[in-house]
Amino acid sequence: MTRNGETVKWITARRRHPLAGYAVVILALTLFGVGYAVIAPSAERAEAQTLAADAAAAEQQPSQEDVAAGREIFTKSCASCHGPDGTGGEGYTGPDITGEGAAAVDFQVSTGRMPSMDPDQQMPRKPSAFTQEEIDDLVAYYNAEIGDEGSPPVPTDIPHSAPERSDFEDHHAYEEALEEWETEYESYIEGADDTEAGMKLYLANCAHCHSWSGGGGALTGGRWAPEIHDSTPRQIYEAMITGPGAMPAFNDTTITPDEKQDMIAYVKDLQHEANAGGFFDLNRVGQVAEGFISWTVGITLIVACAIWITAKQRAHD
Amino acid sequence: MSRTTQAPKALRNAGNYIDDRFHLAKTGKKQLGKVFPNHWSFMLGEIALYSFIILLVTGVFLTLWFKPSMAEIVYDGSYERLQGVPMSEAYASTLYINFDVRGGMLIRQIHHWAALIFVAAMLVHMLRVFFTGAFRKPREINWLIGVALFALAMVEGLFGYSLPDDLPSGMGVRILQGVLMALPIIGTYASMFLFGGEFPGEDIIPRLYMLHILLIPGILLALIGAHMLILWHQKHTQYPGKGHTEKRVVGTPMLPAFAVKAGGFFFFVFAVTAGLSAFVQVNPIHLFGPFTPTSITSGLQPDWYMGFMEGALRIFPNWFDVDVAGYSLATAVLVPGLVIPGLIFGALALWPFIEQWLSGDKRHHNVADRPRNAPVRTGMGVAGITFYGLLWMAGANDVLSETFSVSLYATTWFFRIAVIVGPIIGFIVTKRICLGLQLRDREQLEHGYESGTIQQLPSGEFIEVHKESSEDTVHVLESKEPVSRIEVQAFDENGVEAPSSRGLMGRLRLRLADWYTRDNVSFEGVRPHSGHHLHHGAHEEEHSPEQDREEATT
Repeated sequence: MTRNGETVKWITARRRHPLAGYAVVILALTLFGVGYAVIAPSAERAEAQTLAADAAAAEQQPSQEDVAAGREIFTKSCASCHGPDGTGGEGYTGPDITGEGAAAVDFQVSTGRMPSMDPDQQMPRKPSAFTQEEIDDLVAYYNAEIGDEGSPPVPTDIPHSAPERSDFEDHHAYEEALEEWETEYESYIEGADDTEAGMKLYLANCAHCHSWSGGGGALTGGRWAPEIHDSTPRQIYEAMITGPGAMPAFNDTTITPDEKQDMIAYVKDLQHEANAGGFFDLNRVGQVAEGFISWTVGITLIVACAIWITAKQRAHD
Repeated sequence: MSRTTQAPKALRNAGNYIDDRFHLAKTGKKQLGKVFPNHWSFMLGEIALYSFIILLVTGVFLTLWFKPSMAEIVYDGSYERLQGVPMSEAYASTLYINFDVRGGMLIRQIHHWAALIFVAAMLVHMLRVFFTGAFRKPREINWLIGVALFALAMVEGLFGYSLPDDLPSGMGVRILQGVLMALPIIGTYASMFLFGGEFPGEDIIPRLYMLHILLIPGILLALIGAHMLILWHQKHTQYPGKGHTEKRVVGTPMLPAFAVKAGGFFFFVFAVTAGLSAFVQVNPIHLFGPFTPTSITSGLQPDWYMGFMEGALRIFPNWFDVDVAGYSLATAVLVPGLVIPGLIFGALALWPFIEQWLSGDKRHHNVADRPRNAPVRTGMGVAGITFYGLLWMAGANDVLSETFSVSLYATTWFFRIAVIVGPIIGFIVTKRICLGLQLRDREQLEHGYESGTIQQLPSGEFIEVHKESSEDTVHVLESKEPVSRIEVQAFDENGVEAPSSRGLMGRLRLRLADWYTRDNVSFEGVRPHSGHHLHHGAHEEEHSPEQDREEATT
């Protein structure tokens, strides 16, 4: 097409057309409408999306190298008790873990409880033997070759532990990751809007073992409910869906993910709540510690004063 | 300015005005000069008194804002974490005291720490009175008042703990209701009556509030008044020493010296309480959250003075629960909830009379016993402390189990056995130690004290030089009285049974009296510093320690 002897683009030639404006508006509306319809959640699409996301995750996570690395970790650190295929059984001290789910793997290994020194003892929380990357590899291997279909997956949308400086080469990248993690963490905790539900659910379902403060407590048969102050929200979530040790499982039907978020937010908020009553919080042990202090500090100091003010010089004998 | 011993004119006139009308000068002079013995253990009751004053003052402050109501409201106060949470007005008003009343949190904490110290001071005061035999005639009534005060203070504390309607409050009240329900026949009625219906109802906090701020403090105040008046009238006991006799109290006069000391001591008690309250968080009700009947938590205990009952409840087995005509008799709750505290307080109240019954001793006692000189009483006291202390620890068995990584069941079994074996061991060991100390006292009285100076005799023998004890020490050592005992002669020379030893009670009394007085080191005939190796070497054959030991055990 030419104008004034020059070749111009088709669209440029029609820019000033009286209908051009309408055409643009209609086009924009169509785009928005179709776009919205595609993005907006509906049951079917949500499912489709989840599947897509799962597929994407499945595609993204277990590269063959990851699975291979995971297999190596499993063979070295897990198979001696759980067996080469994770079914435990004859000749192995560990239980069948095929139905436990990736969430359990992530929970047990990231809290340092597995690998266990002594399978007959309840394992305390300790620093994990593996980096998060190694745990992810292990989870990938578990998902690929051991775990049953439908066993609880790792709740990847719940914030996990803060990034470690040692995992990053330069400080900047670490700071960035830390900031990102903090945002994620805070939005998760602040995203819980029902304090009352969180409190009631926590005090009805968790506190009778882990205590009102999350400080843990004694259980029957030599077991104990651990303190959960060091646990990340994801670990708490994983513990709820998998029920490690003596803990019952609270699946997502019994307590919905939103309610779990309320509970986690409640106990984490409480943990970070300042001690308005004074500098010493006595570990929030409560009345036992208060009684102890009232005797060892209170009465003791006062009696010491009584001894002081009634002291007299004694004749030597 | 000239120095004058006269008071300023204005004061003198005021004094004369009052004295002309009430004739107070003479009694005033006498009373203000009242003598207080100088020993720290006589200050223990004062700690309780001062804590009580602190409790009254802080308690009045708290009532200005506390609302004893269980009406449910939605919290919208300044404590952000609980905004939007439904709770009782009692809990909300306690949050208001904590966070909106100036100094409210501090006063609440002072009130709580003072309560813990109040009961602790009563307990140590009571132990002092027990171990020194200061409950003996003429002070039995004051001892009974003291036991009542102690029991009331526990109940007062329990009710106060229940008022804020936070999580521990509700759990405490729930246990109270459980114990009530365990009462045979009237249990459910009593519970419905107290709670005005089913647990928790709407009535319990207003009712406990009335008891906590009106009835029980009123009784406490009246009993404390009586306790002090009787003390004033009967005067203090005193420890044995130079010039201390049954008829004469030695110490500091009230004005000016003792009043200054006591005033200073009040401020020290207050300083410790306030210092604790400023720096150590106590009963953080805002962290616990409001009580709802579905809430429950581990690691929660009552305040320490209820600990022995909590412990009894935790370790008492349910083996004796029976059904009677279709109704269950919950002995596992009834025994620890009522029988064990009943036994402890009953034994405390009866002890002075039991001792009198066994020793036949009806004399006035104003000089305190040294605990070692009453070995059975001291042993019983230690047995009691062991029993109480073990129950108290059992009340914290979950905390102990968690802190020291011991199996919870193991602690339960340990305490079940220890509360029975422990007091027996405590009694035997204490009695032995008392008798050993008596032996040493006699040794020291006869031979003086070991000076630590070693001398070599010309014969080559080494001896430790004993020196004479001071006059004061001799007084203390000589204060040991011969044990008064009832006539243990059950039969006269004709073989007729003595009237007092007839029947079951008579025989029991004889047995117990024998047990109570049998083991004692006699000081009869011992003259101070008459022993040989005071001046010369040791001549064991003259007075061998073996002889002493035999006397002690026969």
